[in-house]
Amino acid sequence: MLLKIENLTKRFGGVLAVNDVTLSIAEDEIVGLIGPNGAGKTTVMNLISGYYKVDSGRIEFKGIDIQNARPSTVCRLGISRTFQIPRPFPDLTALANVGVGVLCGKERPDKSYGDSLLDASHFLEFVGLFSKRNVLAKDLSLFELRLLELARALATTPKLIMLDEVMAGLNPGEASRAIKLVRKVVEEYRVTVFWIEHVMKVVMEATERVIVLHYGKNIASGPPKEIVNNPEIIEIYLGEKIA
Amino acid sequence: MRLEHKRSRLVFHVKNLKLEWAIEPRYWRNPLIAVAGLFLLPLLIYSRPDYMTLLTTANIYAAIAIPLSWQMAGTGRLNFGPQFFVGIGGFTAALLSIHWGWGPWQTLGIVILTAACFGILISPLTVLAQGLYFSLITLVLPLIFLEITFVFADVFKGEAGLSGVINLINLGKIRITFLAACYISLVLMIIYLFIVDKIMRSRIGLYAAAINDDEVVAETCGLKIGRWKMICFVITSMMIAVGGWFFAHYYGTFAGTTYLPLNFMIKILLIVLIGGRGEIYGSIVGAYFVAFLEQALTALGPVHHIIFPLILLAMLFVLPEGLYGIYRRHKYREYYPTMRVRKRSI
Ligand SMILES: Nc1ncnc2c1ncn2[C@@H]1O[C@H](COP(=O)(O)OP(=O)(O)O)[C@@H](O)[C@H]1O
Ligand SMILES: [Mg+2]
Repeated sequence: MLLKIENLTKRFGGVLAVNDVTLSIAEDEIVGLIGPNGAGKTTVMNLISGYYKVDSGRIEFKGIDIQNARPSTVCRLGISRTFQIPRPFPDLTALANVGVGVLCGKERPDKSYGDSLLDASHFLEFVGLFSKRNVLAKDLSLFELRLLELARALATTPKLIMLDEVMAGLNPGEASRAIKLVRKVVEEYRVTVFWIEHVMKVVMEATERVIVLHYGKNIASGPPKEIVNNPEIIEIYLGEKIA
Repeated sequence: MRLEHKRSRLVFHVKNLKLEWAIEPRYWRNPLIAVAGLFLLPLLIYSRPDYMTLLTTANIYAAIAIPLSWQMAGTGRLNFGPQFFVGIGGFTAALLSIHWGWGPWQTLGIVILTAACFGILISPLTVLAQGLYFSLITLVLPLIFLEITFVFADVFKGEAGLSGVINLINLGKIRITFLAACYISLVLMIIYLFIVDKIMRSRIGLYAAAINDDEVVAETCGLKIGRWKMICFVITSMMIAVGGWFFAHYYGTFAGTTYLPLNFMIKILLIVLIGGRGEIYGSIVGAYFVAFLEQALTALGPVHHIIFPLILLAMLFVLPEGLYGIYRRHKYREYYPTMRVRKRSI
């Protein structure tokens, strides 16, 4: 098991955002995490990447306890992430944005600054942003920002990459390009993907296993086909279109 | 022999020899030319010691503003009390010189060391205090220091300040001495310019930009932000303290009331803002501009105390990106930090 979460609980004042969640992700898997808005998906991700203090429970990555580790430590161990609302470095060019990932994701004292930017341009080309390398991040469109975040996350050479609602706000054409891109990432970099998504359709298409979160509780887990036919989950998503 | 001008080249034809000399416009923007100009300037006003002092002051203002603009990016915080370290440097130098008779070059090492100690003591604030709180604490620190110079008046001599500090340099003739001091200040500024310029173009500059833009995301990318912010704060504090060392030895006196109150801080901050933050060459433009404007306005009499800050504030309003920003707009790609006072958020 690459990532193991046991009895994870997180409370914000009166809100029980994450309630006794247990899950695990094996190497080279693509796992989806779905649930209605406010189910606690982003909170789980923030707990893994070390932004919030864990109230109780354990998070283990490659056999190392990482609950309450610093975000930079978690990143250097090999977990990188994107943000639900893209958060680039707005005043840096796209190339420099990815360069930060290359230089900081791992200790690289032997690598010169120029070499790192060369590496960064490779990642930019991979996601198809090479032509925008000299554009400031604040001038990029939402789709381009999502690509940029993916490139920056890849640049830190992760083992596990966590995507937070990458499809939100994209038009169908962009969404299908994004799905293809994530597949390409898995093929070429052999990373494990933990994919948080609100849109069921995407999860159906792209993932091998789905975990469902509802009011912070892990209520179901299995292949997407099973999940979609589960009456309990249909009820949660009532009124929303499934697949 | 024939001389020909082709677009960006001058071509000399001497018999059947062809010599080319590129005159690309970017060569004229080479900082070395500006630096050479700065080195010539003191010679032109050799006969006017008052102008020489003005120039020297401007150089030291720049030498304080250059590290400060690095610090603003590298810690992602607005330091409202850079003069605290000017005070540390000045008092250390003055006390050592008066009591033990140390010359400027002997005190320099201790000044840097003292500043490093205080820098290390205060640097955890860059991690603990967010946005406005950091600004408030740094704003109060020099005022507390000023208070201390009054409370322990037997050591710091409160209002009057310490006098009898050994002079920076003494070459007998007064004009030559002034000229030499001016060149020392210029060299100090150029060294700072060189160091900070190199740093901002290296990976440390990229880290600084990332921290200034979004600390949280920088940490997600694996950057150990606490370490880099503290390193940046300590180094820049040491650099700023040398400004105080210079003032103490240059004037032979050092008083807390001159350097620690808010008006000195406002001057330094405005130099950074007017010159154009982030672009350190702008700090020099800003320092010369502010120093000369201040001097020119003294002719108006006491009103200049009001007019001076008003002009500076008006400039901030009209040129939010500073004087250097006008030029900077053409160099879109280079990092230009936005100043933010904000809380850490995820
Ligand atoms: N920093 C926070 N402070 C207080 N409450 C929070 C915080 N972050 C999330 N919450 C609450 O936790 C719950 C889960 O939120 P979140 O994980 O963002 O849901 P989602 O599944 O839509 O990503 C919500 O009720 C939200 O209001
Ligand atoms: Mg969310």
